[in-house]
Amino acid sequence: MSMKQTNVWKFFSSVKLAIWLLAIIAVVSLIGTFIAQNEEPAFYITRYGQYGYSALLKTGLTNLYGSWWFILLLISLSLNLTVCLLNRLSLKGRQLGTLICHISILVILLGALIGMLFGQKGYVKINKAQEAGAFETDRGQVNLGFSVRLDDFIYNENIDPKEKLLVYPHTQEGPDLKTSSSFGVGVLAEIPTEIGSEREIANTGYKVRILRYMPDFVMDTSTKEVSNRSAKANNPAIEVELKGKDGALQEKFWVFARYPDMHQSKTDKFNFIYNWVGRRPKDFISKVTVIKNGRKMISRDIRVNFPLKFEGYAFFQASYDTEGLNWTGLKVVNDPGVGIVYLGFILFILGLSIRFYISPFMRISQK
Amino acid sequence: MRSILLNIAFAAYFLAMVFYFIEMFFRHKALPLLARVFALCAVVSLAAYTVMRWQIAGRPPFSNMFESLVLFALAIGLALLFVDLRYKVKNVSSLVALLGLLALGYASFLDKEITPLLPALKSNWLTIHVLTCFIGYAALTVGFVSGLVILFKKGEIATLDTVSYKIIAFGFLFLTLGIVTGAVWANYAWGTYWSWDPKETWSLITWFIYAIYLHTRFVKGWKGRKAAWLAVIGFLAMLFTYFGVNYLLSGLHSYA
Repeated sequence: MSMKQTNVWKFFSSVKLAIWLLAIIAVVSLIGTFIAQNEEPAFYITRYGQYGYSALLKTGLTNLYGSWWFILLLISLSLNLTVCLLNRLSLKGRQLGTLICHISILVILLGALIGMLFGQKGYVKINKAQEAGAFETDRGQVNLGFSVRLDDFIYNENIDPKEKLLVYPHTQEGPDLKTSSSFGVGVLAEIPTEIGSEREIANTGYKVRILRYMPDFVMDTSTKEVSNRSAKANNPAIEVELKGKDGALQEKFWVFARYPDMHQSKTDKFNFIYNWVGRRPKDFISKVTVIKNGRKMISRDIRVNFPLKFEGYAFFQASYDTEGLNWTGLKVVNDPGVGIVYLGFILFILGLSIRFYISPFMRISQK
Repeated sequence: MRSILLNIAFAAYFLAMVFYFIEMFFRHKALPLLARVFALCAVVSLAAYTVMRWQIAGRPPFSNMFESLVLFALAIGLALLFVDLRYKVKNVSSLVALLGLLALGYASFLDKEITPLLPALKSNWLTIHVLTCFIGYAALTVGFVSGLVILFKKGEIATLDTVSYKIIAFGFLFLTLGIVTGAVWANYAWGTYWSWDPKETWSLITWFIYAIYLHTRFVKGWKGRKAAWLAVIGFLAMLFTYFGVNYLLSGLHSYA
């Protein structure tokens, strides 16, 4: 009996099987979106109890998409695809698009397999002014063959337009910042908190200028020295310069977002409120240099969406030191299958276009 | 200025829906014309709004739920006009207009403030990924409505069935483009083209359902009511992909 007559072959040449497999994979994938994947045991125990966690673990539901039975489903689909391709489809005009679509799925799965078998992915943490020559993966440490030095890490924030220094007459209580009802009522000036920003306070003749900003203000009580403790906005504060009517410097003082009663202005004329609404990140930039055999090869900025690529490895901006901005966390990937997957994508789109638009168009124009 | 455009779009959408609805029961030359004029008005207002917001923000206006809903309403309006002019299926048009109206209505409750992009969204892929996804979503929405009408209609459904199939094929192509551009972008941003996160997974589930629609149609001869059921189920999966994932599940993708 030839191969094509065996029951196994017949089984895999069924489109009904394909439809069933698609449906089963869809349902199973759905489950994986409701049960969080690859979390710590404690996470599951909290939600599902000890027995629940054991059950999930044993059935592979904690790592569903990597479990043996999910992979078996994908293998079955691939076999199904391959047999159907060999049996049913040919390069004849009408079927060209369909053929390309189905081959492309196999190409995508092949690329994914290659990536899974031969790819490396991991993580490296680099401190400022230091270099790393290897990165950590699930399968242990991998040496790069070169090193990456973090020259600097830059964190920029966007200042929200609602973040302002509000100036009220001294006699008036500041607004209740928890309700917005009295906000802005009676305010003499609203100063944007960019460094250097300067405004007049209504018609009083006084001027205010923003000198410094610190997200985590702290003062040494003995030396009275002020410093910024971390990059986290635990105690946002701005240093303000108040100039009097004749233009001469009057005083400099700090205003605190979280402590509206504590501003240090000694002039009794005004009440200063620092309206803080939080700042959103603007950029995370790791400025790095690649060093190989003692020589500087390239210097680049790594940001989200702009990885560094060198000798088959790609470095992605993943995390950073939120306290002191002293280190950066880079994800490191070497995936030899990516190009093949992309080829599969292009083929699929091509196949779909041919099947639904180009072939029918050609048939119509031939008539 | 900008919210005037949104209000005009909302009113125009509403009027388009009303005239399409009336057209289902009365014949008069003016009815389809009025409906189309108002639908076009809604589309133009939304397009103008999008362009203005893009200019003012200095970046593509596709970064959060509000902005994506406006785009969705715009895409639905375009799909509506296309299907109406090409196939003239009255029952479908009024319902599609209603859905566009609902999208815009929902948007009106959300914060319209223009906020700067988070670093992860600062990429040229943002535009193409979002556009292809929403063109796909709009087409699949029309496919859903056609399917729904088929399920409720007694009598001849051949035209509806053809419309449904053709718009779903178009939607499937763009859904594929949306998933693919998303994967390529993910590879630039996070180093991996597929991480089975809820948004990615649900978009794949949606894609599988429409793949099943196409296979049952071509190989099993499932047309008319049977295909319509799949169009409805696919749309429900699409809704979950768009809204459900954001509001009910958590993950990297919680922007829009």
